[in-house]
Amino acid sequence: MLRYVVQRLLFAVPLIFGVLTLTFFIIRLAPGDPAAFFIQPGVSPNVAEQIREQYGLNDPVYIQYVKWLGNILQGDFGRSFSRAQQPVVEVIAQAMPVTITIALLTLVANFLLGIAIGVISAVRQNSLLDRVLTVTGLFFYSMPEFWFALMMIILFALKLPLFPASGLNTVGAEYYGPFGFFLDRIWHLVLPVTVLSINGAAGIARYVRGSMLEVIRQDYIRTARAKGLSERVVILKHGLRNALLPVVTLMGASLPFIFSGALFIEVIFAFPGMGRITVDAIFARDYPLIIATTFISGTLIILGNLLADVLYAVVDPRIRL
Amino acid sequence: MSHSRKPVLTGHISPRITRSNASGSGVIPFVFLWLLLTIGGCSPQQRDGAPTAMDSTLVIAMLGDAEYLNPVIGASVTSSNVFGLIYPGLLESRFDTSTGLLNFIAMEKSLLPAEHGAADGKRFSGLARSWSMADDHRSITYTLRDDVAWDDGVPITAADIAFTYRLYGDPVIASPRQQYLAELEGADSGAVDFDRAVEALDVTTVVFRFYKPVSERLALFHTSLSPIPAHVWKDVSPGEFRRSSLNQQPLGAGPYRLHQWSKQQELVLESNPLCRLPEPGNINRIMFRIVPDYTVRLAQLQTGTVDVVENIKPEDFQGLEAGPADVEIKSTGLRVYDYVGWSNIDQDAWNSRKEIMPHPLFGSPAVRRALTMAIDRQSIIDGYLGEYGTMCTGDISPSLKWAFNDTITPWPHDPREASKLLASEGWVPGPDGILRKEGKRFSFTLYTNAGNARRNYAGVIIQQNLRDIGIECRLEVQESNVFFENLRQRRLDAWMAGWSVGLEIDPLDGWGSDLDKSRFNFTGYRNPRIDELCELAKDELDPMDARPYWMEYQDILHQDQPTTFLYWIRETQGFSKRIRGEELSILGTFYNIDDWSLDPSRAVTP
Repeated sequence: MLRYVVQRLLFAVPLIFGVLTLTFFIIRLAPGDPAAFFIQPGVSPNVAEQIREQYGLNDPVYIQYVKWLGNILQGDFGRSFSRAQQPVVEVIAQAMPVTITIALLTLVANFLLGIAIGVISAVRQNSLLDRVLTVTGLFFYSMPEFWFALMMIILFALKLPLFPASGLNTVGAEYYGPFGFFLDRIWHLVLPVTVLSINGAAGIARYVRGSMLEVIRQDYIRTARAKGLSERVVILKHGLRNALLPVVTLMGASLPFIFSGALFIEVIFAFPGMGRITVDAIFARDYPLIIATTFISGTLIILGNLLADVLYAVVDPRIRL
Repeated sequence: MSHSRKPVLTGHISPRITRSNASGSGVIPFVFLWLLLTIGGCSPQQRDGAPTAMDSTLVIAMLGDAEYLNPVIGASVTSSNVFGLIYPGLLESRFDTSTGLLNFIAMEKSLLPAEHGAADGKRFSGLARSWSMADDHRSITYTLRDDVAWDDGVPITAADIAFTYRLYGDPVIASPRQQYLAELEGADSGAVDFDRAVEALDVTTVVFRFYKPVSERLALFHTSLSPIPAHVWKDVSPGEFRRSSLNQQPLGAGPYRLHQWSKQQELVLESNPLCRLPEPGNINRIMFRIVPDYTVRLAQLQTGTVDVVENIKPEDFQGLEAGPADVEIKSTGLRVYDYVGWSNIDQDAWNSRKEIMPHPLFGSPAVRRALTMAIDRQSIIDGYLGEYGTMCTGDISPSLKWAFNDTITPWPHDPREASKLLASEGWVPGPDGILRKEGKRFSFTLYTNAGNARRNYAGVIIQQNLRDIGIECRLEVQESNVFFENLRQRRLDAWMAGWSVGLEIDPLDGWGSDLDKSRFNFTGYRNPRIDELCELAKDELDPMDARPYWMEYQDILHQDQPTTFLYWIRETQGFSKRIRGEELSILGTFYNIDDWSLDPSRAVTP
């Protein structure tokens, strides 16, 4: 297993590298100019030229690539164009905790909610409840997240002012004390995490329902019932445990999705996280930052897939890596 | 199996999602979590009656964050708003509404007689005590106040100004304001000779020397850039300038200073008790909150979480007024207009062979006039902007009364006359109802940038109007970067865009006949008389002497219609009614923000 993991990781290096190289050229081929902001009336035409010189964009693309390559191999992602020439690594280090918080909360909510709905649907297969849950789940699953987010804001921040519309903290939250500050933060996270997790939970619920239906038809479930175990134990201990096997692998696979979902959520709820950085960087043609965010998401996808495979082997001894 | 015995996991489905599930009674972690979030979270805000931080904090929603808190290199809107409050100016500029001219004011002198007299209750906030313009108009000498200091106690001197102007002119630093140095001695030969051009004669006297005679107005405008403290910055090399951490922790002298800055989230300024320019800001704290999404900014204004949101769309006024918070709409303007650009020249011929040929569709002024007459501009204004829009006839704002030509009657909406004009140019209806000339159909794509509701609205009306006279117009939206690049490369036949005009009139960049030099002449319009008029107007030392030139200029543009000028937009800003003393000016929403107060205003927060 360890060998397998190491092998996969080694294979991931050229893969990520290829992705970055591709990104490097694609963004430079895309229309738009990082210095375009400085091309405006009243600003000397020299400024855009001087800025390009500073960014090293006046060199031919292959020279730029060689320079970039040299820096990347030393772990230097360069400095952001659009964020006051802050080192890219710093920009990302500031944004990561926000996104990780959202992603972890979402992951937990996703699975709790998804498994619960899935189990209920399966246990009460074809009942009215099952249908309502299925339809409701599909309803939310097919809803665009950004639109859902705006609707939630209008409903629960505007019409029914229960939650804040955006931001990480209330004005002056630093005076609430550490616990108050924490609660205030959580309070600000309710809407975004709800939006993100409902969507994902609906998908997970379908998996769980399917897998659960298969499991509760197995002989050992009948045996468990015959032993006189309570229904609760039968479903939760004997049924769910086995039904969760395929679901566990979803965890790894859903990581990149949660991160990409955070993209919209962070823009809408004004969180200074990775999603915001990515979107801003693309609009500003901030090449170093675009490359760095691509690196992060590329790594996440690869690690997510690896995690899924490993988890599968861990929960199902029949699989050998 | 008995359903009643398995309520297991039902309860955790939030009642918001589906209420159909009533059987749940089991306490499961998620419900608990949910309650904790809901109940626990609400508490901080519900301390009724007690003063909260909000009472002494003005919250302004901004679309993007600041980058450099430094007048030399700061470029974003938020940066300018912030460093304007942190760094002192040499002069104060006010907009004289009776003439539409900028007035420059020093402590003991002003260019124009002050509009409301000295009795308008404001104290002067600049560094200059007075100035004198040389008789030959080739130099200007400032006398500075001797009683002002940076926040660390070091006096602000003429040397700071001379030092900072070198930075503004340094090509490595690449200041977006280096255009202000264009008249200084040496600038005509490529590099400003700073030893001569900006000289600190003594602690409170600084002189600027120009290579040619310059009008007093332009001299004041271009020599009053904000200084930064030389003693703090002198060791920062030009190459390190943009990377310096001093850009993030500025040392200034203005009515506010930086309290805290969480990047991409919020930037908090606090009233600076040491400020003598003129005095500490009224409101204890000003917080700029970064909220990129418009709908969310709007929701925050409606719930009273923020106090100011700029650029509210007219369709949202009603909702705002009906919302729980007391909000009013204020407008300033007219600095922005929308237009439909028609390529005057055949761009392919220009781009491939640098050859000037009239555009096959829009090359003739008569055709462009016909297009303007075909478009029902008034119904776009009535339908979208209402009272916040005004018909536009040219690119000189009606707010600049001294130069605006009010004798021009806008081309009327007259489809019949438009058809006649087109027929006289050889455009006659073809078998499919679309106009044709020598076999070519009058059909084109109108491009615009993504995400502008107003332009989308206008686009649909324009498309319909043109259809009515037999012109086929397809609408296409492009991402802003792509759109702008296409414009610059002169790749589009027709487009809709906006233009924000400066308070000094300098339109040659947009209409000049030298297409290589005129970076913003996207239409490829060429009329030698326009070049001449712009040069003549620029050489006048008194703006009123330039007025006749600008009158003729507007007449010519009106006849030539290089673009169809649509409408001027009054920018509309949403303000919480708890703000007092705000005075909007064409100079900006936050023009006198250091004089604002909050009601109810309370003493300093905990």
